[in-house]
Amino acid sequence: MSEKPLVLEHVSFRYRSRQGAAIHDISFSAEPGELLLLAGASGCGKTTLIRAINGLIPRSYKGELTGKIRVQGQETTSMPLARISQMVGTVLQDPERQILGTKVINEVAFGLENMGLPRAEILRRAEAALEYLNISHLRDRETFNLSGGEKQKVALAGVLAMKPSVLLLDEPLASLDPASAQEALAMIRRLADEGLTILMVEHRVEDVLQIHPSRVMYMSEGEIRYLGDAAGLAEAVDFREVKLPARQVALRAAQETTPERVTFLPKTQRAASAPLVRFENVSFGYETGHEVLHGISLDIHPGDVIAVLGPNGAGKTTFVKHAIGLLKPKSGRVLVNGQDTRQASVAEIAATLGYVFQSPSHMLFAPTVREELAFGPRNLKHSAEQIEQGIKRALEIVNLRERENDPPLSLSFGQQKRISIAAILAMRSKILVMDEPTAGQDYRNYMNFMDAILQMPGFEAILFITHDVDLAVIYANRVILVADGTVRADGPPQQVLKDYNVLRACRVVPTSLLDLNLQLLPKTGQFLRAEALAKVL
Amino acid sequence: MLVTWRYRPRKSLVQWFDPRAWVIFYLCFLFSTLAFWDIRFLLPFLAIALLWLFTSGLTWNEVRRPFLFIGAFVFFFAFLTFLTGRGGMEVYETEHLIRRLQAPFTILGWRPTLEITVERAFFAISQFVRVFSIAVMTILIPYSLNPALYGVTFKGLGLPDKIAYAMDLTMRFIPTFARDFQLTMDAQRARGYELEKISGGLVEQVRKLGPLIVPVTIHAIIGSEDIIDAMDLRAFGIGPRTWLQELHYQPRDYVLIALGLLLLVCSITLGLSGLGNFWVPQALIRWATGG
Repeated sequence: MSEKPLVLEHVSFRYRSRQGAAIHDISFSAEPGELLLLAGASGCGKTTLIRAINGLIPRSYKGELTGKIRVQGQETTSMPLARISQMVGTVLQDPERQILGTKVINEVAFGLENMGLPRAEILRRAEAALEYLNISHLRDRETFNLSGGEKQKVALAGVLAMKPSVLLLDEPLASLDPASAQEALAMIRRLADEGLTILMVEHRVEDVLQIHPSRVMYMSEGEIRYLGDAAGLAEAVDFREVKLPARQVALRAAQETTPERVTFLPKTQRAASAPLVRFENVSFGYETGHEVLHGISLDIHPGDVIAVLGPNGAGKTTFVKHAIGLLKPKSGRVLVNGQDTRQASVAEIAATLGYVFQSPSHMLFAPTVREELAFGPRNLKHSAEQIEQGIKRALEIVNLRERENDPPLSLSFGQQKRISIAAILAMRSKILVMDEPTAGQDYRNYMNFMDAILQMPGFEAILFITHDVDLAVIYANRVILVADGTVRADGPPQQVLKDYNVLRACRVVPTSLLDLNLQLLPKTGQFLRAEALAKVL
Repeated sequence: MLVTWRYRPRKSLVQWFDPRAWVIFYLCFLFSTLAFWDIRFLLPFLAIALLWLFTSGLTWNEVRRPFLFIGAFVFFFAFLTFLTGRGGMEVYETEHLIRRLQAPFTILGWRPTLEITVERAFFAISQFVRVFSIAVMTILIPYSLNPALYGVTFKGLGLPDKIAYAMDLTMRFIPTFARDFQLTMDAQRARGYELEKISGGLVEQVRKLGPLIVPVTIHAIIGSEDIIDAMDLRAFGIGPRTWLQELHYQPRDYVLIALGLLLLVCSITLGLSGLGNFWVPQALIRWATGG
């Protein structure tokens, strides 16, 4: 009798350090070749479920695990982790946290080396995995020099080389640019078609629906709320919690008795005054190699809400690091408030331009959230009263008022990210710059704080780097497309985002919301969020 | 994610040898150097180190930072030894004064005095040569050993699989730590933090380093946990592992190992026979004493 690749029976788990079960009474099974999409808001238990299946729970994450988990008919609860890992492959959300090898071939071979296979067999399987994913050309490259999409593929190759029967993917699209995400999805579909059982956790439900998952599981508060085909998902979930295709959201919003009418207007209006930031023919290259930015010239004016889009490694972060003076141009100059960044310290510029880094763990240090938020304003010599007001306001915006006295480092990743944004909001800079502000956040949270940030008084301009085209559609009044260190397009979203050829050249993939907006543009005259489109549909 | 040192393959003497042979030679060199305080014995070691350096193909631009940092560090401690006269007490008993410099002021009745003696001066020079020779050889390691071969090199030196892989990770942890430090520094500078403006007493200054030290430390701990999970998730430690890369000794590697061992044996023998202890030129002593 052939066993099902994956069976869970009444599985519950409670972390030792927390009260209440993280997952409760989870039962389901998966067939060979099944692609099961797992969706839900942050804290719904998705990651806990993945950890229970791959064995990290209860081995690395201690707590009480009950119920039965069987992989290929074998109960895994008492198996050593190393044995489970030969049957269950896991690709984590951030490939950077998974890659161990210095070179691609070493990374892909790592699991096979641990299994003690003969060297020729290791080479054969590692090279086959690389070829399968069309990345043989990366074989001898150093892993830390790869782009985000390449790292993701290399991490996947390392897992596939071990020939697991079940593949767990924890938000595999999170760090990828839209085109890389599309490629990853096509690859995942192919793996399922060839018989691999795949359980995929993903916030970007809309994207995954394109590759037709066999079933969709929706979790909330540690329990399965829906398990069935994709068609039924739209009815079963809260469309504010999980990102569904724009037309479905619009239709659902129209059915609501009191349709949510979000009126967003930036408090600042774009003016023809002197630019806040000016890039004059800026070029830059790191010590080690080639030029990253080539002759960038642009102005940031009061009233600008700018979305910077472009592929991984295009130079987006390098570009914004010039604005705050962390990097100085090799040629050309950057002026902030009329002052050359070469002549100003980063601390001086920080009073004008607040920059939220991508990773919160690189900046959080204080014993309480309140002290963390006071750090920046104190450095900028704000008065006690201003600091107090800034903290209060910032915590309200990121919806963490009740966490004021908690240690930031004890919070979840999503909450830490929001604290890192609040820390900069509290500084009351004139310009707010955010690098991937929504990474690691669930849909409802990031939409809420983006709404709040854009309506916060005091900012004269906002700039954010993102892979999420919909953020540009909904929030930006100006879109800058960057590729290969140059600005490919710069203008209002309605103008820049309508040229699909340029978008493709910048590895930006149009979304259903963009499609729908462009279609309805003659009626609306502006880009709107899906809920707002309900009225014109 | 672990990053690696700035290694790149070059046609150089050091990269001509098997990494295991080079590590063995390095260890022999290290322990041999430690056997001496006599500058006449230490100078050949400096010459050997410089030979490796100048044939390594490294440009000054590449190694400027570590050399300036470590060079300044070694010089500072040698100079401190010279100023205080401490450190050399164990290797010489009598001192011959060249000049006594006295400050024109007193601090609570104590007048700062610098006694320049032949022994102090020579001890500082010997100490500099000794430590700088080792530093030159050590700086070469990250630039000349292929990071992809760290693990198999340590395995090839007889370490068990787990220890060899741990050594591999440790070697890469240092540049990773430096990168994380830089990222944290940038993030805090963007919040108006200025390291150069830190003031106050020692405790206060350390406290003000918290915004740098805490995130870097926490990041290192989280990073280590990620690494352990990533290794566990790919069957690490299940049994004896196969190392994909293979290393093969060539005749030249045996020659290098033999030279290293010869150097070590000779050094230990000389040391045990009482040669190579601290030495100062007699002529200098005669000059100092006016004899």
